[in-house]
Amino acid sequence: MTNSIGELVDADVLLITGSNTTETHPQIGRNILEAVDGGAKLLVIDPRKTDIAKQAHIHLALRPGTDIALINAMMRTILDEDLADDLFIAMRTENFIALRDYLHRLNLDELADITGINLDRIREAACIYARSSKSVICYCLGVTQHTCGTANVQAVANLAMLTGNVEKKHSGVDPLRGQNNVQGACDMAALPSVLPGYQNLADNEIRARFEAVWKREIAATPGKSLTEMTHAGKDGAIKAMFIMGENPALSDPHLDPVQETLKHLDFLAVSDIFLTETAQLADVVFPAASFAEKGGTITNSERRVQLCRPAIAPIHNCRPDSHIIMELGKRLGCPGMEFDSDAEIMEEISLLTPIYGGMHYDRLAENFGLQWPCSDRDHPGTEFLHKYYFTRGKGCFTITKHQEPFEKTENEYPFTLVTGRGSYHHFHTATMTRNSKRLVREYPQALLEININDCKKLNLKDGETVELRSKRGAVHITTQITDRVQPGTVFSSFHFFEVPINQLTVDAMDPQSKCPEFKVCSVSLTKVSHD
Amino acid sequence: MNTNFIPERAIIRTIVHENEQISTFRLELINKNVPFTFLPGQFLMLSVPHCGEAAISISSSPEALPLFDLSIRKAGELTLAIHKIQEGDQVGVRGPFGTPFPIEEFASKNLLFIAGGIGLAPLKSVIDHCLFQSSTKEDAAGSITLLYGSRSPSDIAFRQVIELWKKQGVDCRITVDEKDSSWNGNVGLVTDLLSRCATDSNTRSLVCGPPIMIRFVISQLSAMGCDDTAIFTTLERHMKCGMGLCGHCHLDGKLVCIDGPVFSLSQLKRLDVTEFSR
Amino acid sequence: MIDLKELILEKDNLYPLLRKLMKDARLIAPVENEFGDTLFSVIDDIDTTKIDLTNQPQESLKPFFLPQQETVASYTIDEGEYSFTPPPPALQTIFFGVRSCDLTALLYMDLIFSKPVKDATYYDRRNHSLIITLGCNQPFDNCFCEATGSGPYLEYGYGLQFIDLGDCFYVSAGRSKGADLLKKWSYFFREVEEDDQKRRYQLLLEARGQFTKNIQVAHACRKLQKEPVTEEIWEQLSSRCYDCGGCAYVCPTCTCFSVDDTPIDRNSGLRIRSWDACTSSGFTRMTGGDNPIDRSRHALKRRFLHKLKYDFSSHGKASCTGCGRCVDICFGGVDITTFIDLFTKQETV
Repeated sequence: MTNSIGELVDADVLLITGSNTTETHPQIGRNILEAVDGGAKLLVIDPRKTDIAKQAHIHLALRPGTDIALINAMMRTILDEDLADDLFIAMRTENFIALRDYLHRLNLDELADITGINLDRIREAACIYARSSKSVICYCLGVTQHTCGTANVQAVANLAMLTGNVEKKHSGVDPLRGQNNVQGACDMAALPSVLPGYQNLADNEIRARFEAVWKREIAATPGKSLTEMTHAGKDGAIKAMFIMGENPALSDPHLDPVQETLKHLDFLAVSDIFLTETAQLADVVFPAASFAEKGGTITNSERRVQLCRPAIAPIHNCRPDSHIIMELGKRLGCPGMEFDSDAEIMEEISLLTPIYGGMHYDRLAENFGLQWPCSDRDHPGTEFLHKYYFTRGKGCFTITKHQEPFEKTENEYPFTLVTGRGSYHHFHTATMTRNSKRLVREYPQALLEININDCKKLNLKDGETVELRSKRGAVHITTQITDRVQPGTVFSSFHFFEVPINQLTVDAMDPQSKCPEFKVCSVSLTKVSHD
Repeated sequence: MNTNFIPERAIIRTIVHENEQISTFRLELINKNVPFTFLPGQFLMLSVPHCGEAAISISSSPEALPLFDLSIRKAGELTLAIHKIQEGDQVGVRGPFGTPFPIEEFASKNLLFIAGGIGLAPLKSVIDHCLFQSSTKEDAAGSITLLYGSRSPSDIAFRQVIELWKKQGVDCRITVDEKDSSWNGNVGLVTDLLSRCATDSNTRSLVCGPPIMIRFVISQLSAMGCDDTAIFTTLERHMKCGMGLCGHCHLDGKLVCIDGPVFSLSQLKRLDVTEFSR
Repeated sequence: MIDLKELILEKDNLYPLLRKLMKDARLIAPVENEFGDTLFSVIDDIDTTKIDLTNQPQESLKPFFLPQQETVASYTIDEGEYSFTPPPPALQTIFFGVRSCDLTALLYMDLIFSKPVKDATYYDRRNHSLIITLGCNQPFDNCFCEATGSGPYLEYGYGLQFIDLGDCFYVSAGRSKGADLLKKWSYFFREVEEDDQKRRYQLLLEARGQFTKNIQVAHACRKLQKEPVTEEIWEQLSSRCYDCGGCAYVCPTCTCFSVDDTPIDRNSGLRIRSWDACTSSGFTRMTGGDNPIDRSRHALKRRFLHKLKYDFSSHGKASCTGCGRCVDICFGGVDITTFIDLFTKQETV
């Protein structure tokens, strides 16, 4: 996030796109609702009528995968209405002319057609966003989980820069991270092509600094992304895997190749707190300690590094992840695996990672943590980003063109399947949440959200079992008739192993981020006769 | 028997498989010194090992004590577990709970019982009790009529009991929604059976079954001229204590486990009961 | 006849008195921890624990009388024998520094857990407790106990009530247990003088004048007896209810619970009572899926009607104690004050 979460309350316009905020980011949702109570305008872009969409002043229920067309239409409107921030564009950005000329060549009616939204509504939303100088955009996986995910984000950045809504307090571009420490994991380069702090892997000097501390050579070539690894196939180059706290056997797209890959590995080790579907395939399982049993830091969406202390000692033989890694490292002959405390590990991080430079444990113990960039001990942390300059210097406008999703609907597969989190109550593959009686009571089974008009056409009732099929696989799932989805679109969660929805999804990825297109694939629905 | 959440132990004496879905479990308290009696319409909280408790209506009449029946339909974890239990096994019971049917009001009245599916279970308790009363008292009840609907012939429960009732003079009319090759009887809803009945100010109607059935039957009875005070039903709710503490059965300021589950239509009309007000 | 005395305790005598009390009972009082949270905690060492009488405890007394999870019985099923055992008895406890709203809530809980049956574990704890309240001389940001008749000072219901007069406490006995305590430890106390009474009255008036929120509780309660709430209001509120259960969990008078058996092994298990929230759809959903309540429209209906309509008509008083905790916690901003505000503004048809 370029903003801090608390800034949202005082924004005048909130544009939420691809985020079911109240159900998946409750605290951020709370700030948004408070802003709305204070008079802010809420614009929501989402194919589904989520709870936050219901609170919106304008809900743009676009056809899945048409975000770029929508944002281009909004930008063109902003230009037409002369609402662009010329001063900001001139002082802080590059490549505007190219974007401007491109936008002027577009046909607004065509764009509206692509999105399936009434053009007047698009115009209205654009003007509301542009007229305010305190406009914030929040986006989440509805924007990134597409084959054009990177381009989607560039479009969002374009929109913000066009109106100068990205350099001041209460304005900005805020990706809401999908897990509580995915920001932290990325910061520490659990990514194939950067070093901690997003430092350039190819830079010799930077690599040398790490090599000096880690006492070994670091390859300059990028590694593989998650989906590339789990889809390597049985003849792939990957012989062994160590999977920590991730359940790709259920959460990765297009599950058949994932099963094949995992089953044909020479060796699979898994570290997790429960015996997940992935752990069940492992040769060795390390019982990991849960959040309550270990210390460390968690970095949230607003870049805040927060210190966590264990509440109880690890149960039975569970060990914190750091211990597991250190023990493995020692046995594999890795130098420098002797840390006596979490604070000591953090010191190494601070030494090597400029944005974490001042993140010492004694400082983190106060004030609920610190927001990076925080370069040294005296630095107070950074509330919002890009105040005077962007990381690359000037912001760059990128021409983004609408791109159809990888899989289109066709006669045999006439529905679009969108997947995501199903309710407030479950998290991802429900490894933890299905252990709670109360949470299970509230959302006990996988449900397929389907529009009532589609039900009428297919003669389906609420609570009926249907077969949902794509080119890659099929599941049986129970219907839930709702007006949350538009006709032609269905929605399912991926929480329940009995209904492994990712058997159906595509593994096509965004070429840059390698993020799979979980949000769009084509399916058919058939009644299943009662036994 | 109200020692909070600790039940009395009971042993399963016999099990009658009514059909694929429903069995009647005949129980007896293990500790014979515990004073236990109940009135028709009341229910027990049944404990099944490792499954917790569920509210089940007593389907036998008090005259059968020390034995008492729970007729249970397979629905969730607990009811599935109890169907695996065998004669001689132990369960726990707490109760009796709830406001019973106002039997005293039924003396010398014509009783019309309208049941759907497992809904016959609590009504059976009343029928058995009234039959017993009328066998020992001169000025007993008037006529007893039973209208009983099931989805299909294989869903009919209490077949033997119904035959016994017929012999005792109960006018039993059975119907099914869908027939099969073996069925020669009525086909249709209970409301069809009801339309062929006559009622008057001396009739007392007791209705129990799925909410939608109750709704239609009640409205038909009213249309036939039955007074709100002469129509009774028993409501089903998710219950966790049976004693008015847990709050689950709260209904517009009342508690179904205390003020119900038996309600007259006149009482129901004073409550905001959404399942009937569509 | 109980002699419900009123006496003065010089502040210097507070800790010495508490030390004596700790010899025969557990002492539980608000303590501010290292993270800045004030929570009711068992005082083990009075010399090293700083009792916090300034900040509002984040939780009420509810966790001590109706714990979030409580074993109400343990069971064994061994060779066909199915038997239950009650839980161990409660410990003698003195609660100190309880605010008026939280004591009022406890009195309400007494009603709930005594009719039609006396809940065994609740009353065991209750009979082994003495409550010493602290009247509030300054309401907190979200408080409105004045509007609910549950503060800032109370007239009765407490074991003892302490009012902070500055250099001393004005102590009133409300029950025989409190009176007994004053008698047993009388040498710590002195007689009330006229100046003390004047000061107490002055402080009460000042406290009453400091509420920042004007919540029309009584007005809403009376209006609810005569007028239904519009569907629009219920839907508007329910559309913002996240189903987090937070309001029900922090509310001092929300007592709804669920009971489930949890196996420990093949032959034994525990019957556990845990907090539940009527705002959830599973609260009323029956096995088989039928649900008499439609959460999407009526998530908050029962909760608010229960506190303001039904309890008002059966007990003469709303069961909301104006503690403001639900206002703090609600994600959607649809706490009881929002409802009262909307409903009192609703036009009478």
